[in-house]
Amino acid sequence: MKILIADDEMLSRRLLEKTLDRAGYEVVVVENGKQALEKLCQPDGPRLALLDWIMPELDGPSVCRALRKRSEQSYIYLVLLTSKGSKLDTVHGLESGADDYLTKPFNAEELRARLRVGERILLLEDRLVEARENMRFRATHDALTSLLNRGAIMDLLGRELHRSQREKKSTAILLGDVDHFKRVNDTRGHIVGDEVLIEIAARLLGAVRSYDFVARFGGEEFLVVLNNCDPAFGPNRGEEIRKLFSCRPIHTAKGPVAVTMSFGLLQSADWGPKPLEHLLHAVDLALYRAKGEGRDCLRIAMPETKDEIAFDETPHPARQQN
Amino acid sequence: MQNKAEHQAQQVWNLAELLARVDNDQELLHDLFGIFKEEFSRIKPSLEAAVAAGDLKKAADVSHALKGMLANLGAERAAAAAAKLEELASAGKQSALKDALNVLGLEASTLLPQIDAYAAEVRH
Repeated sequence: MKILIADDEMLSRRLLEKTLDRAGYEVVVVENGKQALEKLCQPDGPRLALLDWIMPELDGPSVCRALRKRSEQSYIYLVLLTSKGSKLDTVHGLESGADDYLTKPFNAEELRARLRVGERILLLEDRLVEARENMRFRATHDALTSLLNRGAIMDLLGRELHRSQREKKSTAILLGDVDHFKRVNDTRGHIVGDEVLIEIAARLLGAVRSYDFVARFGGEEFLVVLNNCDPAFGPNRGEEIRKLFSCRPIHTAKGPVAVTMSFGLLQSADWGPKPLEHLLHAVDLALYRAKGEGRDCLRIAMPETKDEIAFDETPHPARQQN
Repeated sequence: MQNKAEHQAQQVWNLAELLARVDNDQELLHDLFGIFKEEFSRIKPSLEAAVAAGDLKKAADVSHALKGMLANLGAERAAAAAAKLEELASAGKQSALKDALNVLGLEASTLLPQIDAYAAEVRH
């Protein structure tokens, strides 16, 4: 583990450096508070620090205060090291944001023991951050395919359409549905059905650019958002994506499964004030049309202006047939 | 002011404490002696000049640094003398500084031969 020693006194630096090197730490040594702050603010900087109280440029408590203002950073365990010894000094040091306080001259055993406490706290913090990140991922991603889930893509799409409107750059919304997916589940079983969905997700992700989004929108429905498109790009890429499925079957544990998908596409740079749900309804209607016109095809709902999006509230019979 | 009993209880040089601090690492000990002698010869005139000029801030800063070094080396009496000097300078007691500096000088002159003797003994 990396540890920072900040001390303006050479003998103390050498003694600490050797003691901590022997204890297995990767030691970074600096001579003043300003250098300490710079090192500790680096992305891969030490997360354990021994700071002398009195130093040039910035003293130890000032370094602690500056670091504690940076809430976005990983936690750094800070130990103040000084010859000051009054209760008032201890309180002042800890209130500046230090986690611990060690009086000079230090006892090597005590120093190592206190640093082990710091390591335990950092480990605990790492576990909490990992758990939070896992929860965040689970809240925004589909458990089966690991694609973005409906809630997350709606959020991203809303922001993307605002950006598209602001920058006058076209965005394409592509909604795809697996044709006759119920038959796959009924004849091959749900495990094969899941394999098919996982492979569809992989093919979709492989077909888009790093700044596009792919989500599992519902059971066998997938939503793709293509950003910064020129007028021809959305339909062309939509067709290419459709062909990814019709051109080769999906290999599963129970053999190859031929799968096709139908798509609806809506593309614009001028989204107007209509709510997201209305736009998705328009692309959904285009998908219904693709289903109704034989499946394994793409149909476009591309209005000339934002007011020309047709809103047909009648559910299409093709949707019920999958 | 440090009383006589406290002074007597302190050792000129607490070698056992120092050896424990460096985990009995003689090579490190030599490094530390080298650093101390170099730093001390640099700091001492600067401290004397600060006291002579009545520069209390500088006298306090320099004696603070010296105190840290001496304490790390287990030089208890000299560290206490440096601490006293720092305390007096911080409190603005300029008239007492010269005496305190003399005490520190005496403690250092007792300490340095002991360090040299130990270093020579270990080397052979």
